[in-house]
Amino acid sequence: MSIMWTIAKREFRSYFDSPIAYVVVCVSFLGLGLLIFFGQGGYWQTDRATLSPLFFFLPAVSLLIVPVITMRLMAEERRSGTLEMLITLPVKDSDVILGKYLGALGLMLVLFLFTLLYPILMFKFPWNLGPLDWGQVASGYVGLVLFAAASVGLGLLISSLTDSQAVAFFLTLALLALLWFSGTFAQHIEGAASGLVSFISFQSRLEGFQRGVIDSRDSVYFLTIAALSLIVSFRVLERRKWA
Amino acid sequence: MTTDVMIRADGLSKQFGSVKALDRVSFEVKRGEVVGFLGPNGAGKSTAMRILTCFLAPTRGAASVSGFDVFEDPLKVRESIGYLPQRAPLYTDMTVHEYLLFAAEIRGLDPSTFKSRLKKVIDVCGLAQSLGKNIGTLSHGYRQRVGLGQALIHDPPILILDEPTSDLDPNEKAEVLKYIEDIGKDRTVLLSTHNLAEAEQACARAIIISKGRVVADGSIDDIRSRTGRRRYVIAVDEKQGEAGKKAPSAAELRDALQGIHGVHKAHELPSDESAHRIELTGPQDTDLRAEVFRLMVTKGWTLLELRRDAQSLDAVFRDLTRADEKLDRSADWDSGADARVDEGEGDEDDDDADGEETTKDGSARAEASEEKA
Repeated sequence: MSIMWTIAKREFRSYFDSPIAYVVVCVSFLGLGLLIFFGQGGYWQTDRATLSPLFFFLPAVSLLIVPVITMRLMAEERRSGTLEMLITLPVKDSDVILGKYLGALGLMLVLFLFTLLYPILMFKFPWNLGPLDWGQVASGYVGLVLFAAASVGLGLLISSLTDSQAVAFFLTLALLALLWFSGTFAQHIEGAASGLVSFISFQSRLEGFQRGVIDSRDSVYFLTIAALSLIVSFRVLERRKWA
Repeated sequence: MTTDVMIRADGLSKQFGSVKALDRVSFEVKRGEVVGFLGPNGAGKSTAMRILTCFLAPTRGAASVSGFDVFEDPLKVRESIGYLPQRAPLYTDMTVHEYLLFAAEIRGLDPSTFKSRLKKVIDVCGLAQSLGKNIGTLSHGYRQRVGLGQALIHDPPILILDEPTSDLDPNEKAEVLKYIEDIGKDRTVLLSTHNLAEAEQACARAIIISKGRVVADGSIDDIRSRTGRRRYVIAVDEKQGEAGKKAPSAAELRDALQGIHGVHKAHELPSDESAHRIELTGPQDTDLRAEVFRLMVTKGWTLLELRRDAQSLDAVFRDLTRADEKLDRSADWDSGADARVDEGEGDEDDDDADGEETTKDGSARAEASEEKA
């Protein structure tokens, strides 16, 4: 257990040792701010005390952030050979996978934590723009965390399949975009296919959370994806022994 | 008895697709031994070490380290070893101190133990100046030291070092070898290299593998005498003879030396304008020096140098691994293996062609190293 945390801690810190964490945080905040206030016809035009643009755009921005964060997790270790150094320490393969996963997820959570500034600054102090439904905000964040858990898992899995960070980045981006935009796609087709496509869509799955509804089916969906990704990543790591 | 065997490999085979990286490799390393694991590049040294450190699993065979099976107790195995992979792959974004602390935390060292161990490691590996530096900014030699440091941080009874001296400049090489010598005083060390001079310097015993098979295993002296021959180097003045006699030509000298009973092969070595230098190989059990001296006296040639040594390890190494190379090309694996054994024993006719080229290169190198000394 403590080994897993040591690995997670190192992973998390290494984001801050390189410019990655700073670039990711700054760029995504800039983009997020622009999108919230100028996207969808502008924030002020809505004329309601709502944070729904935040919960709409943050996952969309995350589609880009997650691959940046996860691309190097295993790919870089394999390319540079540090994986051999790490794995020949007395660690279990599962410690390595979970540690790396938690390290990357940690950075996503820190990013989400920063976005709490929006509701606090806008609806608590120093401004109070109106009566905000805090329950909805809470459920929105629950959705975001579950969404991050699933997407970081997928990113880790893809990173463990290749030696190249660039390949990992583009594949993760493509997969997440597919899972995201399948929601929009589902609206344009009919019948069972539509149901299936929207079933796997991250976007459709997040809608409930954004409205303030924590549906156990959606939660289980995200958690299942996270768990499956971790299990497969673990298997991939184990497979090196028999290659 | 069994507890004294720290590393045991028992019929290890490893197949990568259609490539056989290891083929029934067996060896043992006892407590307190410093063993050189030698072989040309691609012989399977790293693969064997990766199996011993539980990074890879063997296709067949078994191995145990410190009495723990690599299949059943991989964590125990890793706890008892310090391992330095080839090229010391380290996290370049960490400082040396951070990295050593990371390794120590994973190995479950408590802070006070870490502190005292760190002092020792800094001392042995010479890391005092670079402790706060980013690993990414360090030279290869220093990275190698850090790698060695992390392998030593938990004071392991067994060290497995994969080419710890590759890519280092001669000074760094000498230093790392000195560390290994120091470290090896109270530990079991398995050290891979393709440089024989290093093995001679640091190890008492060597295991030579080639094409995934063990071709020799024994003390360095044993291995050196495996071809059963001794080597002589003779230098004769080429300008002037004794007492007004004429100095010989190179061919004359060579033919005369070749005529001595017991001489297996004589050939000229590169030399300067003043002397002919000839290398002779002769049987292990007779001393040809007296004969050579008498020949010089009779002919009235000026003998400038006469020395005898065992055939250089380089030459033996090439003999052993080249034989295997040949075997690799033959269709029948098993009959090839027999041929190899024969050659090792020193079948005169068979050896001749082989020996010639081998000694040429091998001796030239041995020469150079001796001159340095």
